[in-house]
Amino acid sequence: MTRQANISIVMRALSDPTRRTVYERITRADEITVAELTRSSGVTQGAVSQHLKALKLAGLVAERPEGRNVFYRAQPLGLAPLVDWIDHYGQFWHERIANLRELLKKIDP
Amino acid sequence: MNTSNTRQIEVEAVLPHAPELVWKTLTSGELMKRWLRMPSTGFAAVVGTKFTYQTTPAGEWDGIIRCEVPEVVQNERLVYSWKGGHPSIPEGYGAVMDTVVTFSLSRAANGTRLRLVHAGFAIPRNERAYANMSDGWKGVVKTIGELSAEEEGAQ
Repeated sequence: MTRQANISIVMRALSDPTRRTVYERITRADEITVAELTRSSGVTQGAVSQHLKALKLAGLVAERPEGRNVFYRAQPLGLAPLVDWIDHYGQFWHERIANLRELLKKIDP
Repeated sequence: MNTSNTRQIEVEAVLPHAPELVWKTLTSGELMKRWLRMPSTGFAAVVGTKFTYQTTPAGEWDGIIRCEVPEVVQNERLVYSWKGGHPSIPEGYGAVMDTVVTFSLSRAANGTRLRLVHAGFAIPRNERAYANMSDGWKGVVKTIGELSAEEEGAQ
Protein backbone atom coordinates (compact mmCIF):
# COMPACT_ATOMS: atom_id res chain seq x y z
CA MET A 1 0.00 0.00 0.00
CA THR A 2 1.39 3.40 -0.84
CA ARG A 3 1.90 6.03 1.80
CA GLN A 4 -0.56 8.34 0.05
CA ALA A 5 -3.22 5.62 0.28
CA ASN A 6 -2.40 5.24 3.99
CA ILE A 7 -2.90 8.94 4.52
CA SER A 8 -6.34 8.95 2.92
CA ILE A 9 -7.45 5.86 4.84
CA VAL A 10 -6.42 7.45 8.14
CA MET A 11 -8.06 10.76 7.22
CA ARG A 12 -11.27 9.04 6.16
CA ALA A 13 -11.37 7.01 9.36
CA LEU A 14 -11.10 10.19 11.44
CA SER A 15 -13.42 12.37 9.35
CA ASP A 16 -16.53 11.16 11.20
CA PRO A 17 -16.95 13.23 14.39
CA THR A 18 -18.38 10.34 16.45
CA ARG A 19 -15.61 8.03 15.33
CA ARG A 20 -13.08 10.73 16.16
CA THR A 21 -14.57 11.00 19.67
CA VAL A 22 -14.34 7.22 20.10
CA TYR A 23 -10.72 7.34 18.93
CA GLU A 24 -9.83 10.19 21.29
CA ARG A 25 -11.41 8.27 24.17
CA ILE A 26 -9.22 5.24 23.30
CA THR A 27 -6.05 7.35 23.13
CA ARG A 28 -6.76 8.67 26.65
CA ALA A 29 -7.17 5.14 28.10
CA ASP A 30 -4.46 2.48 28.27
CA GLU A 31 -7.00 -0.11 27.20
CA ILE A 32 -10.77 0.07 27.02
CA THR A 33 -13.68 -2.30 26.25
CA VAL A 34 -16.61 -1.74 23.87
CA ALA A 35 -18.96 -1.57 26.87
CA GLU A 36 -16.91 1.23 28.48
CA LEU A 37 -16.69 3.09 25.17
CA THR A 38 -20.45 2.78 24.67
CA ARG A 39 -21.14 4.20 28.12
CA SER A 40 -19.12 7.35 27.41
CA SER A 41 -20.09 7.86 23.75
CA GLY A 42 -23.90 8.28 23.76
CA VAL A 43 -24.41 5.94 20.79
CA THR A 44 -25.38 2.26 20.67
CA GLN A 45 -22.90 -0.55 21.23
CA GLY A 46 -23.50 -1.65 17.63
CA ALA A 47 -22.50 1.79 16.35
CA VAL A 48 -19.38 1.82 18.54
CA SER A 49 -18.43 -1.61 17.17
CA GLN A 50 -18.75 -0.31 13.61
CA HIS A 51 -16.52 2.67 14.42
CA LEU A 52 -13.97 0.35 16.05
CA LYS A 53 -13.94 -1.79 12.92
CA ALA A 54 -13.14 1.26 10.76
CA LEU A 55 -10.44 2.45 13.18
CA LYS A 56 -8.91 -1.03 13.20
CA LEU A 57 -8.85 -1.19 9.40
CA ALA A 58 -7.08 2.17 9.31
CA GLY A 59 -4.42 0.82 11.69
CA LEU A 60 -5.36 3.33 14.38
CA VAL A 61 -6.39 0.86 17.07
CA ALA A 62 -5.45 -2.69 18.03
CA GLU A 63 -7.52 -5.23 19.94
CA ARG A 64 -6.70 -7.84 22.56
CA PRO A 65 -9.32 -10.47 23.39
CA GLU A 66 -9.30 -11.68 26.99
CA GLY A 67 -12.00 -14.03 28.22
CA ARG A 68 -15.34 -12.59 27.17
CA ASN A 69 -13.97 -9.08 26.74
CA VAL A 70 -12.06 -7.42 23.94
CA PHE A 71 -9.74 -4.61 24.98
CA TYR A 72 -8.92 -1.82 22.53
CA ARG A 73 -5.86 0.39 22.58
CA ALA A 74 -4.49 3.15 20.35
CA GLN A 75 -1.72 2.27 17.88
CA PRO A 76 0.56 5.31 18.03
CA LEU A 77 2.13 4.42 14.68
CA GLY A 78 -1.29 4.57 13.07
CA LEU A 79 -0.90 8.33 12.88
CA ALA A 80 2.65 8.06 11.54
CA PRO A 81 1.60 8.78 7.94
CA LEU A 82 0.47 12.21 9.08
CA VAL A 83 3.43 13.25 11.17
CA ASP A 84 6.47 14.68 9.43
CA TRP A 85 10.11 13.94 10.13
CA ILE A 86 10.67 17.21 12.00
CA ASP A 87 7.92 16.42 14.51
CA HIS A 88 9.07 12.84 14.79
CA TYR A 89 12.69 13.71 15.50
CA GLY A 90 11.86 16.78 17.60
CA GLN A 91 10.16 14.48 20.08
CA PHE A 92 12.69 11.71 19.57
CA TRP A 93 15.70 13.85 20.53
CA HIS A 94 14.01 15.45 23.53
CA GLU A 95 13.25 11.98 24.87
CA ARG A 96 16.72 10.67 24.10
CA ILE A 97 18.50 13.62 25.79
CA ALA A 98 16.28 13.00 28.85
CA ASN A 99 17.38 9.32 28.76
CA LEU A 100 21.00 10.45 28.53
CA ARG A 101 20.55 12.67 31.58
CA GLU A 102 19.07 9.75 33.57
CA LEU A 103 21.82 7.37 32.48
CA LEU A 104 24.57 9.86 33.44
CA LYS A 105 22.92 10.26 36.84
CA LYS A 106 23.18 6.48 37.36
CA ILE A 107 26.79 6.28 36.20
CA ASP A 108 28.00 9.39 38.05
CA PRO A 109 25.55 10.16 40.91
CA MET B 1 21.92 19.32 0.61
CA ASN B 2 20.12 22.55 -0.17
CA THR B 3 20.32 24.44 3.11
CA SER B 4 17.99 27.25 2.01
CA ASN B 5 15.04 24.83 1.87
CA THR B 6 15.66 22.89 5.03
CA ARG B 7 14.91 23.07 8.71
CA GLN B 8 16.74 21.80 11.74
CA ILE B 9 16.01 20.56 15.24
CA GLU B 10 18.10 21.96 18.09
CA VAL B 11 18.14 20.61 21.64
CA GLU B 12 20.37 22.03 24.36
CA ALA B 13 21.00 20.66 27.83
CA VAL B 14 23.41 21.39 30.67
CA LEU B 15 24.43 18.10 32.23
CA PRO B 16 26.04 18.12 35.71
CA HIS B 17 28.94 15.87 34.65
CA ALA B 18 32.40 16.35 33.16
CA PRO B 19 32.62 16.62 29.33
CA GLU B 20 34.84 13.50 29.26
CA LEU B 21 32.09 11.40 30.88
CA VAL B 22 29.35 12.88 28.69
CA TRP B 23 31.50 12.15 25.64
CA LYS B 24 32.05 8.55 26.72
CA THR B 25 28.31 8.06 27.27
CA LEU B 26 27.50 9.58 23.89
CA THR B 27 30.05 7.63 21.92
CA SER B 28 30.69 4.21 23.50
CA GLY B 29 28.54 1.63 21.71
CA GLU B 30 27.13 -0.08 24.82
CA LEU B 31 26.27 3.14 26.67
CA MET B 32 24.85 4.69 23.51
CA LYS B 33 22.31 1.85 23.21
CA ARG B 34 21.11 2.53 26.75
CA TRP B 35 20.02 6.11 26.06
CA LEU B 36 19.35 6.05 22.33
CA ARG B 37 17.29 2.82 22.69
CA MET B 38 17.66 1.72 19.08
CA PRO B 39 19.48 -1.33 17.78
CA SER B 40 22.61 -0.16 15.98
CA THR B 41 25.29 -1.93 14.00
CA GLY B 42 28.87 -0.85 13.48
CA PHE B 43 29.00 2.47 15.34
CA ALA B 44 32.40 3.88 16.35
CA ALA B 45 33.38 7.49 16.98
CA VAL B 46 36.01 7.26 14.24
CA VAL B 47 36.02 9.34 11.05
CA GLY B 48 34.84 7.30 8.04
CA THR B 49 32.86 4.75 10.07
CA LYS B 50 29.59 3.62 8.44
CA PHE B 51 26.84 2.29 10.68
CA THR B 52 23.09 1.75 10.82
CA TYR B 53 20.17 2.10 13.19
CA GLN B 54 17.04 -0.01 12.92
CA THR B 55 13.86 2.03 13.36
CA THR B 56 10.18 1.37 12.64
CA PRO B 57 9.58 0.50 8.96
CA ALA B 58 6.88 2.30 6.98
CA GLY B 59 5.47 1.23 3.62
CA GLU B 60 8.34 0.24 1.32
CA TRP B 61 10.96 1.66 3.69
CA ASP B 62 12.73 -0.98 5.80
CA GLY B 63 13.23 1.47 8.68
CA ILE B 64 17.03 1.42 8.43
CA ILE B 65 18.87 4.68 9.08
CA ARG B 66 22.25 4.75 7.31
CA CYS B 67 24.95 6.84 8.91
CA GLU B 68 28.54 7.84 8.26
CA VAL B 69 30.94 9.79 10.48
CA PRO B 70 32.71 12.71 8.73
CA GLU B 71 34.02 14.47 11.84
CA VAL B 72 35.13 13.60 15.37
CA VAL B 73 36.83 15.92 17.87
CA GLN B 74 37.26 13.96 21.06
CA ASN B 75 35.28 15.36 24.01
CA GLU B 76 33.96 18.19 21.81
CA ARG B 77 32.19 17.26 18.65
CA LEU B 78 30.66 14.24 16.90
CA VAL B 79 29.01 14.54 13.50
CA TYR B 80 27.25 11.85 11.50
CA SER B 81 24.98 11.70 8.51
CA TRP B 82 21.49 10.24 9.05
CA LYS B 83 19.79 8.98 5.93
CA GLY B 84 16.60 7.02 5.52
CA GLY B 85 13.18 6.80 3.96
CA HIS B 86 11.96 5.56 0.58
CA PRO B 87 11.14 7.53 -2.60
CA SER B 88 7.70 5.88 -2.82
CA ILE B 89 6.68 7.80 0.32
CA PRO B 90 6.01 11.43 -0.71
CA GLU B 91 5.91 13.04 2.72
CA GLY B 92 5.52 12.36 6.42
CA TYR B 93 7.18 9.53 8.31
CA GLY B 94 9.12 7.35 5.87
CA ALA B 95 9.75 10.02 3.22
CA VAL B 96 13.34 10.33 1.97
CA MET B 97 15.54 12.07 4.50
CA ASP B 98 19.15 13.17 4.02
CA THR B 99 20.15 14.80 7.28
CA VAL B 100 23.12 15.39 9.59
CA VAL B 101 23.32 15.02 13.37
CA THR B 102 25.89 17.05 15.32
CA PHE B 103 26.61 16.68 19.04
CA SER B 104 28.70 19.53 20.48
CA LEU B 105 30.04 19.57 24.02
CA SER B 106 31.48 22.53 25.88
CA ARG B 107 32.48 22.98 29.50
CA ALA B 108 29.87 24.86 31.53
CA ALA B 109 30.05 26.24 35.09
CA ASN B 110 28.30 23.17 36.52
CA GLY B 111 29.28 20.52 34.05
CA THR B 112 28.81 20.22 30.32
CA ARG B 113 26.65 22.02 27.82
CA LEU B 114 25.37 19.59 25.21
CA ARG B 115 23.99 20.97 21.98
CA LEU B 116 22.36 18.62 19.52
CA VAL B 117 21.54 19.80 16.02
CA HIS B 118 19.72 17.54 13.58
CA ALA B 119 19.85 19.48 10.31
CA GLY B 120 18.78 19.15 6.70
CA PHE B 121 15.09 18.29 6.87
CA ALA B 122 13.39 19.18 3.61
CA ILE B 123 10.40 21.40 4.26
CA PRO B 124 7.26 19.36 3.62
CA ARG B 125 5.51 20.40 0.44
CA ASN B 126 2.29 20.82 2.31
CA GLU B 127 3.70 22.43 5.40
CA ARG B 128 0.46 24.11 6.47
CA ALA B 129 -1.16 20.71 6.86
CA TYR B 130 1.57 19.58 9.23
CA ALA B 131 2.15 22.80 11.12
CA ASN B 132 -0.09 22.02 14.08
CA MET B 133 0.65 18.37 14.54
CA SER B 134 3.30 18.45 17.23
CA ASP B 135 1.00 19.27 20.16
CA GLY B 136 0.22 15.71 21.11
CA TRP B 137 -2.70 13.47 20.31
CA LYS B 138 -5.41 16.02 20.73
CA GLY B 139 -3.86 18.54 18.38
CA VAL B 140 -3.15 15.88 15.80
CA VAL B 141 -6.66 14.51 15.86
CA LYS B 142 -8.22 17.96 15.72
CA THR B 143 -6.06 18.92 12.74
CA ILE B 144 -6.99 15.72 10.94
CA GLY B 145 -10.64 16.48 11.57
CA GLU B 146 -10.26 19.91 9.99
CA LEU B 147 -8.27 18.56 7.05
CA SER B 148 -10.80 15.82 6.48
CA ALA B 149 -13.62 18.34 6.52
CA GLU B 150 -11.71 20.47 3.99
CA GLU B 151 -11.06 17.47 1.81
CA GLU B 152 -14.70 16.48 1.84
CA GLY B 153 -15.70 20.04 1.06
CA ALA B 154 -13.33 20.05 -1.92
CA GLN B 155 -14.78 16.85 -3.39
